Amino acid sequence: MRTDAELMELYRRGSRDAFEELFARHHRRVIHFCYRMTGDQARAEEAAQEVFLRIARAASTYQPTARFTTWMYTIARRTTLNFLRDEKEDGEKVPIHDNGEGRDAAEGLPLPGPEEWDPERIAWGEQLKEKFVEALQNLPEGHRSAFLLNRAEGLSYDEVATVLNITVQAVKSRIFRAREALLTELSGILK
Amino acid sequence: MECREIREIISAYVDGEASPEEARRVEEHLGSCAQCRSAEKRMRALGVAVTRTEGSVPPDFRESLFARMEAEDLLPKRRSIFVFSVRWAAVPLAAAAAMALYVLSSREAPREFPSPAVGPPRVAREMPGPGTTSPEAGSPFSAPRELAGSPPAVPGKEERKTKVVADGGKLSPEDREIVANLEILEDPDLFDEPQIDEMEIFVPSFRRQG
Repeated sequence: MRTDAELMELYRRGSRDAFEELFARHHRRVIHFCYRMTGDQARAEEAAQEVFLRIARAASTYQPTARFTTWMYTIARRTTLNFLRDEKEDGEKVPIHDNGEGRDAAEGLPLPGPEEWDPERIAWGEQLKEKFVEALQNLPEGHRSAFLLNRAEGLSYDEVATVLNITVQAVKSRIFRAREALLTELSGILK
Repeated sequence: MECREIREIISAYVDGEASPEEARRVEEHLGSCAQCRSAEKRMRALGVAVTRTEGSVPPDFRESLFARMEAEDLLPKRRSIFVFSVRWAAVPLAAAAAMALYVLSSREAPREFPSPAVGPPRVAREMPGPGTTSPEAGSPFSAPRELAGSPPAVPGKEERKTKVVADGGKLSPEDREIVANLEILEDPDLFDEPQIDEMEIFVPSFRRQG
């Protein structure tokens, strides 16, 4: 099986099949990442399309010095950032909370109690998913990116540091703070 | 160590990013702190929760993206089967056409016959034997002999006659006459040989009368 870097090289030489293979491998995770970053399905689709367009436009400058996925997530993160900024400026619907204010946490959701936080016992319903996505949006963008890239996308601290252009120690700190904030917020709605 | 101080290391430990020394300290602490054990469990649960938080892939996502890419000329268009067929057939077709042209042009090449009224005896050329091989350069029929490594030596008149006679054993009298004429036609020098009777066939009428 060809590596992502080899497929990029083939695409640069004019292979449509190479790009289709790259797309097949990564489009789901790009859409999921964009959804978790923006908290909105329509925006996630739009952003994910933009990610692949940017990958195609930047193919001629791609250097296989780092993993393709690291490069791809760098583009994906910047793209979603642009979307969020544009929406913030336009006053559109996607919530961007920098400090956690303006949240309506407890809405009587049938969520499991603290003793039931066993991952296998959590019934991950749509309501809980919405609350979790909302909690993610309430994180500072830098913390959210670091946490998602590591926990959802499987990048190492080192790779997250590359994507975010920060130190590994800063990654460690951001992920810890993201966890603390999420646990605090979700603990608030637990019965 | 205070719980607050070690929580960040627990977070890295949960992610598999703690150093061996940090891991040892975390495990030691968790063994004696129920609060941090609960915190560690919640941290792990968050990791599971985030992987279950997924967007959906719309069915037309690929088509929509590829249409945009094609509009921006970012995606090479897929060629039709017909184009591929023509492309892959081009080489053998061109080779066959070139061969056909070569054969036709060599057969129909103008020859310096004294009288255009009499054409070359093509029948004889269709049945080449060692003695009937034309020595003229560029003839496609001489090619196999050249490829085989024997240079196309120009035989002498006697040698040619001998070859014709040698092959003549397999030919009918009419064929022999045609073959003899062919030898004469392909070597214009033989036109000056008065002892060859067949030459008269090709002599213009005004010369015969004079």
